[in-house]
Amino acid sequence: MVQISRRSLLQASGLAAAGLASPAILRSAMAQSGPVKLGCLFSSSGTMANLEGRLNYVVKMAAEEINAKGGVNGRTIDVMVSDPASDWPLYAQTAKQMLQQEKVSALFGCWTSVSRKTVLPVVEQENGLLYYPLHFEGDENSKNVVYVNSPPASSVLPAVDYLMSDEGVSAKRFFMLGSDYVWPRTINKQLKGYWKSKGIPESAWKEEYVPFGFSNFQTLVNQIRAFADEGGGQPIVVLTVVGSSIPDFLREFANQGILATDIPVLGLDMVEADLEGLDTAKLVGHLNCWAYLQNAKGPANEKFLKNWADYVKTNNVPFSGTVSIDPMVSAYDAVHLWAMAAAKAGSFDVPEVSKAFGGLTFDCPSGYKISMTDENNYVARGVFIGSVNDSQGFDVLWQSDGTPKPVPFSPYG
Amino acid sequence: MKSWRLPLLLVSVLLLATPAVAEPLDRTSLIAALCGGAGQMGEGASTLIATAVSGSAEERAWAAPLARAVLDRDLACDTSGAVLVQSGVDAVSRTPREAGEKARKPLASLKNRATFELADAALALRSAPDIAARAAALKTLERRPANVPEGLLEVAAASEPDAGLREQIDTLAQTAALNSSDPAARIRALSRVADTPSRRALTKVSALTKDPAYTANAEFRQAVDAATARIERGIAIGDVLATLYNGLSFASILFMAAIGLAIIFGLMGVINLAQGELIMIGAYVTWLVQQGLRYAAPSLLDWYLIIAIPVAFLVTAAIGIAIEAALLRHLYKRPLMSLLATWAVSLFLINLVRVIFGTQNMQFETPFYVSGGVPVIGDFIFTWNRMFAIGFAVVTLALTWAIVRKTPLGLNIRAVTQNRDMAACIGIPTRRVDMMAFGLGSGLAGLAGLALSPIYSVNPQMGQNFIIDSFMVVVLGGVGTIAGTVVAALGIGQINVLIEPLWGAVAAKVIVLLMIIAFLQWRPEGLFAVKGRRK
Repeated sequence: MVQISRRSLLQASGLAAAGLASPAILRSAMAQSGPVKLGCLFSSSGTMANLEGRLNYVVKMAAEEINAKGGVNGRTIDVMVSDPASDWPLYAQTAKQMLQQEKVSALFGCWTSVSRKTVLPVVEQENGLLYYPLHFEGDENSKNVVYVNSPPASSVLPAVDYLMSDEGVSAKRFFMLGSDYVWPRTINKQLKGYWKSKGIPESAWKEEYVPFGFSNFQTLVNQIRAFADEGGGQPIVVLTVVGSSIPDFLREFANQGILATDIPVLGLDMVEADLEGLDTAKLVGHLNCWAYLQNAKGPANEKFLKNWADYVKTNNVPFSGTVSIDPMVSAYDAVHLWAMAAAKAGSFDVPEVSKAFGGLTFDCPSGYKISMTDENNYVARGVFIGSVNDSQGFDVLWQSDGTPKPVPFSPYG
Repeated sequence: MKSWRLPLLLVSVLLLATPAVAEPLDRTSLIAALCGGAGQMGEGASTLIATAVSGSAEERAWAAPLARAVLDRDLACDTSGAVLVQSGVDAVSRTPREAGEKARKPLASLKNRATFELADAALALRSAPDIAARAAALKTLERRPANVPEGLLEVAAASEPDAGLREQIDTLAQTAALNSSDPAARIRALSRVADTPSRRALTKVSALTKDPAYTANAEFRQAVDAATARIERGIAIGDVLATLYNGLSFASILFMAAIGLAIIFGLMGVINLAQGELIMIGAYVTWLVQQGLRYAAPSLLDWYLIIAIPVAFLVTAAIGIAIEAALLRHLYKRPLMSLLATWAVSLFLINLVRVIFGTQNMQFETPFYVSGGVPVIGDFIFTWNRMFAIGFAVVTLALTWAIVRKTPLGLNIRAVTQNRDMAACIGIPTRRVDMMAFGLGSGLAGLAGLALSPIYSVNPQMGQNFIIDSFMVVVLGGVGTIAGTVVAALGIGQINVLIEPLWGAVAAKVIVLLMIIAFLQWRPEGLFAVKGRRK
C-alpha cells in the first residue's frame, strides 16, 4: 500500500486545486472576448421553487436559440444560474455577486414583488439591468429594470372591467383575498380607487389577507359564502394569494360546493402550473388574466411550445414539457429583447443597451407583436382573460385587440 | 301612434312572446346560435330552456344533450353545422359523421355558462329517463330558485312518475311563489323558505318588509316576521356549529401533525425537525399506493386512502427507525447536534423527493367519501374531507392511547420517559425502546400525511407548513403527553377559528402565538406537565 504523508497529501491537493482553478483564472483573463454572461435570479428551492424554477431553463433555452444564430455582437451567451431559495434578502445578495464578480450583462429574475424590491437598490447602485417577467402592481419606474410584463392598467383592470360588464357577469360586489405583502395590498388599493371612481359604494367590497404559505382556507371560504349571500348583486372573488396557497384555496372553494357560476374567482397570480394536481372539473369557469396563456392561438405559440417540449426532453429538465406559463414566455421574451437591444447598441454596456430600447419589437409566443418605447422601460403586451377548463388549463375567454400602452403609475392608488 | 299600428304591434308582441309554444323548434338555427358569438349563445341557451318548458317530448329528447355538450366543450362547429364529438353524430340530424377540418369548439362565457347549466338541469328534469339524474337536476335548480324558468316546475311535477321527487318539485315550486299575486301562496312560500334557513333566504325574506302587502296585510306581516325570526335562529345555530366544526377540523389537522412529534420529543428530548418531511413522505406513499392500485386493481382505486393506511405507517416508521439507528443514537447526549442533524435530514428528504417526483403538486383522485359536503343548517356545510380528517384523528388518538397505555411497549416507553437510567437498571432495553418509539412517532407522521392529502396540496415543501404549528401544540400541551396534545390542538384550532373572522388570518396567527408565549410564562411546563423526576 502506498503511504501518504500529510505533506504529500497537501502538496497533491494544492496542485489539484490550482489545476481546477486555472481554467477559471484563464477564463476571467479573456473575459473581454469570451461569451457574454447573463444571470438568472430564480429560486430552485423554497415556496417558489415549482414556479420560479422553470424560468431558469427557459432563459437558457432562449440563449441557446440566439447562440444557434451566431450569438450577439459576435459573442455567444453564457447563462449563470443561482438559487436565492425563496429567501428575499438572498436575492439582493445574489444579484450583487453576479453583477460584481461575474460581471453579468443583464439579470433575469424575481417573481414576487418583495424579491424585486430587494434587488432594486442593488441594480441601481451597480448600474445593472434587471428584466422582470411578472405582471405586478406598477407604481415603480427604474431605468435599471425592464418591466417585461404588464402593470395593472393593462392586465388587472381590463379583467375586472370585463367581469363588471354585461358581457361578463355584471359583477357588483368584490371579495379581495390576498397574501399579506406589497403586491396584493397595492393591487387592492388601486382596485378600491377604481371602484370608487365608478361610484361603487364601500359596502360592496371586503378585504382579507393571509400569511405566506397559508393553507387552512375553511373559515375564509365560509366568509366568502356569507358575503355572497348578503345579496346586492353578483359577487366575485379577486384572488391575490400566491404560491402554494392558490391550489389550497381552490380545493376548499370547490369542496364547499361553490361553482364558478355562483361566485367566480379572478386569480391574478393563477397560472397553468397552479392547477397541476387539482380536480379542475369542479373549477371550470374561474378566471385569470395574463399577457400569455398556453392556449393562445398562432404559429408563434406552436413553435414555442414545441421548442420547450424538445428542450425539456433533450436536457432532462425536471419540469413538465407540456405546461407553459406566462412568466416563462415573459422571461423568454426578455432574453430576446435584451439581445436585440445589445445588437442594436453594438455593445453590452448597460447605458448603451438602455438607449437602444426604443422601437424594439418582438413576435411574442402570445401572438402579439410586443414593443418598447423611449418613454420608459415598460413593454406593451396583449391581454388575455383565461377560463379554467377541466384539463388543468385555461381556455382563452377574451383577448385584447392590440397591445395597450402600459401605464406605469396608477391614477387610482 | 296611429290607430292601425296598435293591433299590428299587439300581434307581433304575441308572436314574440309565444314562439316556443306555438312554433316547432328550428333545429338548424338553434345549432347555428350555439356556434355563434356570446350573444347568440345566450339566446341559444334561452331557446333550450324554453324547449324544456314547452317543447314536445321529441324536441326535448333532441335538445337534452346539447347544453351539456356546450358546457363540456363537446360541440364541434364546422362549416356544415356542428358535431357532438363524444357520440360522433351530427348535432342537427343525429346521423353519424366526423367533424370537418378546422372545427371549433365554442366556449361559453361565464354568464352564458350559468344559463347553460340551468338549461341542462331543466332539460334533464323533464326528459332524463333515470330518476337519479332528475333528482340531481332538481338539486341544481334549487341552487338558484330565482332563476328557475316560469312554468317549468308545474309541467315537470305533472309528468313526474316518482311520488317522492314530485313532492320535492312541488316544494321548490312553492318556494318560488314568494312573489306570486296570491297572498296564501306567498305565506306558504314563506314557511317553505324558512325551512332551509340561510343568509340568502334571509336577504330574500327581509326584502319583503318593503312590500306594500307587508303594511296592508296583517297575516302576511306576521308570516314574514315569523319566517325572519326562524331564519335568523337557523343562521345563528349554523354559525355556532360552523365555528365549532371548523375549529375541530383545524384541531384534528394540528393534532395529526403534532402527535408523532409529541412522542418523539417527550420520550427522547429530540427536537425532530424532519417531522414535517415525514408527513410529506406519508402523503407521497399514499400517492404511490394510489398509482399502484390504478395499475394493479383499478376497481379498488376509490379505497386507496384506506388501503394506504398500513403502508404509509410502515414506510415512515421504517424511515424513522433508520434515521434513529444511523444518526440520532450517536447524538442523544448532544441535543443541539440532534437538532442540526434532523434539520439536515429534512433538507435531504425534501431534495430527494424533489429529484424523484419533481416540484409540482401531485394528482390525487378524490374518492366520493372525501369530496363535497352537505349543507346542514344556516350556512354550515359539513365537508367530507374535513370529516375524514376528524375521524382519522380520533382513531389515531384512540390507537396511540391504547399503545402507550395498554401494551408492554407503551409501558416501557412511559418508564423510559419518566426516568431513563432507572428504567435501564430494571432491565428495560432502552435502546430498543428508543428505536421503537421513534418508529411509532414517525409512523404517526406518515398517517398525518395520509389524512391531509385530501385537504392540502402535496408537494416537496408541504412539510414545512406543519412544523411550526406542531411545535406550538407540543410545547403548549406539555411535552410528551397525549392529553396535552389533544387539548392544545383543540384550543389552538378553536381560538384560530374564532379570531380569523374578527381580525383576519394574519392577526390570528400572531395573537395565538402571543397567547402561547404568555401562557408559557405562567406555566413553562405546558398544560399537562409529566409528573415525575425530570432532569
